[in-house]
Amino acid sequence: MAHIKVVRRSMRPEEWTDLRFGWLKRYIYDEKFEIENLKVRDARQVAEMQYEYYPEGFRPLNKGDMYFTPDGTAFFEADVIIPEHLQGKELWFSLKTAAEIIVKVNGKYVGGVDPNRDRILLTPYIDSDVLHFEMEGYNRSKPDDERNPESLSVRGCRQIFEGAYLATINHTVLDLVYDLELLLDIAKSELFNEDYRNFLNREINNALNLIDFDDLKTEDVASAKKYVDDVIYANDDYKGNGDVALIAHSHLDIAYYWRRIHSVQKNLRTILIQLRLMDRYPDFKYTHTQAYTYEMLEKYYPDVFEELKEKIANGQFEPVGAMYVEPDCNIPCAESLIRQFMYGQHYFREKFGKTVKNCWLPDVFGNSWILPQILKKSGVDYFVSNKMSTWNDTNRFPHNNFIWKGIDGSEVYACVPPTHFITWNMPSQIQENWEAYQDKNQGGQTMSMFGYGDGGSGCTEEMIEVMHRFNKLSIMPKTEHISGQEFLEKNLKDNKNLAKWDGELYLEMHRGTFTTKSQMKRYNRKLEYKLREAEIVSTLRHLKGAEYPHEEIRDIYKKLLINQFHDILPGSHIAPVYRDAMADYEEIDARLNKIIGTGEDYFNSLNFTRSHLTFVENPNGESVRYGKRGNWVIPNLPPLTCGEIVYNETNADWLTIGEKVVTPFYEIIFNTDGSIESIYDRKAQREWVGGEFNKLKLYKDNPGVYDAWDILPNYKDREVEVKILSPLKTIERNSEVASFECVLGTETSTWKRIIRVFRQSRGIEVENIVDWNEKHVLAKAQFDCNVLTRKAVCDTSAGFIERDTHRNTTWQQARFEVCHHKWVDMSETDGGIAIINDSKYGVGLLENSMSLSLLRATIRPDVTSDIGHHEFSYMIYPHTEDFVKAEINNIAYEYNVPLGKADLTCENSFGELYMQTMKMSEKGNMIVVRLSEQNGRRGKIKLGGKVKLLNFLEDVIAETDTVEYKPFEIVTIGIET
Amino acid sequence: MKDYINNIIKPKLQGDGGEIDFVSYENGILTVLLQGECSKCLIVDRCIAWIESEVMRDMGESVKVVAQKKKPFFWDK
Repeated sequence: MAHIKVVRRSMRPEEWTDLRFGWLKRYIYDEKFEIENLKVRDARQVAEMQYEYYPEGFRPLNKGDMYFTPDGTAFFEADVIIPEHLQGKELWFSLKTAAEIIVKVNGKYVGGVDPNRDRILLTPYIDSDVLHFEMEGYNRSKPDDERNPESLSVRGCRQIFEGAYLATINHTVLDLVYDLELLLDIAKSELFNEDYRNFLNREINNALNLIDFDDLKTEDVASAKKYVDDVIYANDDYKGNGDVALIAHSHLDIAYYWRRIHSVQKNLRTILIQLRLMDRYPDFKYTHTQAYTYEMLEKYYPDVFEELKEKIANGQFEPVGAMYVEPDCNIPCAESLIRQFMYGQHYFREKFGKTVKNCWLPDVFGNSWILPQILKKSGVDYFVSNKMSTWNDTNRFPHNNFIWKGIDGSEVYACVPPTHFITWNMPSQIQENWEAYQDKNQGGQTMSMFGYGDGGSGCTEEMIEVMHRFNKLSIMPKTEHISGQEFLEKNLKDNKNLAKWDGELYLEMHRGTFTTKSQMKRYNRKLEYKLREAEIVSTLRHLKGAEYPHEEIRDIYKKLLINQFHDILPGSHIAPVYRDAMADYEEIDARLNKIIGTGEDYFNSLNFTRSHLTFVENPNGESVRYGKRGNWVIPNLPPLTCGEIVYNETNADWLTIGEKVVTPFYEIIFNTDGSIESIYDRKAQREWVGGEFNKLKLYKDNPGVYDAWDILPNYKDREVEVKILSPLKTIERNSEVASFECVLGTETSTWKRIIRVFRQSRGIEVENIVDWNEKHVLAKAQFDCNVLTRKAVCDTSAGFIERDTHRNTTWQQARFEVCHHKWVDMSETDGGIAIINDSKYGVGLLENSMSLSLLRATIRPDVTSDIGHHEFSYMIYPHTEDFVKAEINNIAYEYNVPLGKADLTCENSFGELYMQTMKMSEKGNMIVVRLSEQNGRRGKIKLGGKVKLLNFLEDVIAETDTVEYKPFEIVTIGIET
Repeated sequence: MKDYINNIIKPKLQGDGGEIDFVSYENGILTVLLQGECSKCLIVDRCIAWIESEVMRDMGESVKVVAQKKKPFFWDK
């Protein structure tokens, strides 16, 4: 029997309403006076506040002209005489644009226009009949436009100018527009009661029937508005439920599809827009993160900064977040995260007299388990981060308002809001938030953030206007517009009913960011340790009378911290952002070399004896590593002490090379591709290899739109053939080391592997020298271990985390790629294998197999990502006791901290804890020593005299001569000088 | 022309998430490869016209730019 599908082709009543709503919006402006003498000058920003100008200079800009250039900044000017008939009226500036434009009138910053707002109230700034306009615009062809569908069709580098106007507004029309914006959102949303939506559709139609759109009269619009008040708002037959706190916020990526230099203006525009809204709406409160953005405003726009301080003082503008920037929270080490808080909080204290009590990271790609302790010791009791609730790809994160317990047992109050951090405060978004909220019974209110973001811009007049109407609608959840900190204290503080999450806040997405842009990760690791070295040697030199380079170190540290921003270090950005970061890294490296200097003797900056094999650069050395000559030696240098290194050249009869390579520790069978068939441990009398081991694996890596961000669980579906271009051969054999080299490759890339075995170390090092020219390929080194275990242990930089290696439940299935720091280990109780790296963070763990992620080749946002030359190393370290007794932490430190020269010594080595830093306090009156427990033990250190116990902000908490510590605790002591 | 496209024009397009590579220049026809955001830009013709005017100003040559677009698989619907 034929089936004829009935398709309605005639206009539905709802479409008739939408049409009329569109027509009504055309009458928002009573009168528009076109500014016809506007001039524009094209430029390109090359540094903060610095521009290269196109040679054409200023040119007239008329409606219909093309404006903006790729990566362009445009400067506009006009002197406008206010027409007589508009003088004395409430006057607005109107400009519809796809760009982001900061508007200055008669020397005052009056606001901003962009795709989310097209007018600015001028009246408060009119002090004469002539208005001098100065505007700066940055084109906005950026992906977050997708949240504003109207601007999608005009996304691009070249824009058509639609005219700029002085205008007056018909507030009667505008009022009704806001009513209808609100009511139509409910009418179109299936989240609300169907009967109520039918009621709305009917009554909105009735209201609009009062307007003759062929001859629109304001009094008819007023009648329609009255009808809405009397019939729709007055109706309370339909009851909603819920309790939603509305928190105004704008997420500002300081670099992403734009360079950091552009965020100076993005930040100004965002803050200006919020300040102007505060002027008009005294109840409006707004949250803004990142001390760095405040610093930029203060530096370049001091007048606006002074205004901002007033709004902070009156409680409307709320600094949140405590940190210097919103960093990635997987890859930076503990000390970097501590500095994010220290520099952030010191700034907020100095400028605003506030210690910010919350950490605010809406967009961060997962959060390390070490964070709660760092928060608590940085004066922060609350943690806010959105992504786990809205972006997890496998499991629904089970809490929104809860307690987060950290690796050391520290607890903070945590809020993972149920919905995205970018909303436009519409009823359907608020209802969705309430419905998604999982702690309705014990968590108090739910948090709904509103405001446009990613590139800043924030809240709009419309968001506030609709918010003022929410309490007229019985169908909506109860709402309250409060500050971020008010929400946290009201709902989480002392709430005994909150559930507890004990573990990392792993994001089940963006797993590729542990690996994308490998060079940045390598530099970050290297410079984190180099900063440590610089502070230690500077402190010890200061004790001998030298000046401590406070300003220089602070400046360098901040530069590193900026580059740990969550779209910089993770690699999710365009090519110019990468170039900026690499230039910063090179500059930091050079400046740190200058601070560290050199000496006659080698200096062990670690606070334990360097007793493991180390490569020490020496132009006359007999080995080569990373292209530099040197020797492999066991320094045997006591902690924080300098001395000579004795290198005894002996003969090379410690190993035999045949079918097997026999060392004092192993009998090894290599394959021609550098993979290892067998590692037989001569001491433990056991085999370590359980399958493919040290096998280079290349996989087609097609994660989709989130290319730089994601690795999908299907990445193993298609392997890319790795050819042996030059089979493994012996290239070096001396008294300490034997090296073997092979060259592998694809059609477009070559991969040299240099594998080293040692006389005095159980380590087997693999140096990788890669010329990488792939697209959508993930490179991993796989290690199938002859180890029976269900757990792997990963370094976090301040303690270790155990992770399941089975796939029993969806929670383990989702964690197929995780973040680690210097090492990962799979062990039985009497031994196992650690893989220690010098620059890698991503690792896959499955049953008895570890796969270290080495390189990716993504094309969005950066087509050129990771193409080029790479060098990195890792060390395979079989051990015969557990990883603590095997001193894997010590070995990993020694592997990552190069042995440099400085003629310095420190008397105290501070026991079994690891020294994260030794520095002069920010005030310069104390030596600050930070120690972390990383082996899961508790104990005490007797210090032989009174010291101050400090928090991470360098506030004195107590005085003691003994430091008691518990597993994974980070302790800071201050020694007065 | 190749240096001009790769050194002067490319960084500007990269600043907007785009990518341009020189392919050929023969008889006044300048062929370029567009990737990244440029590969899916709905108003890229405006940008191509701008490149032509930039070449005219900086190189003194009148060219017609022919753009080959290479969309990544995830935008190739």
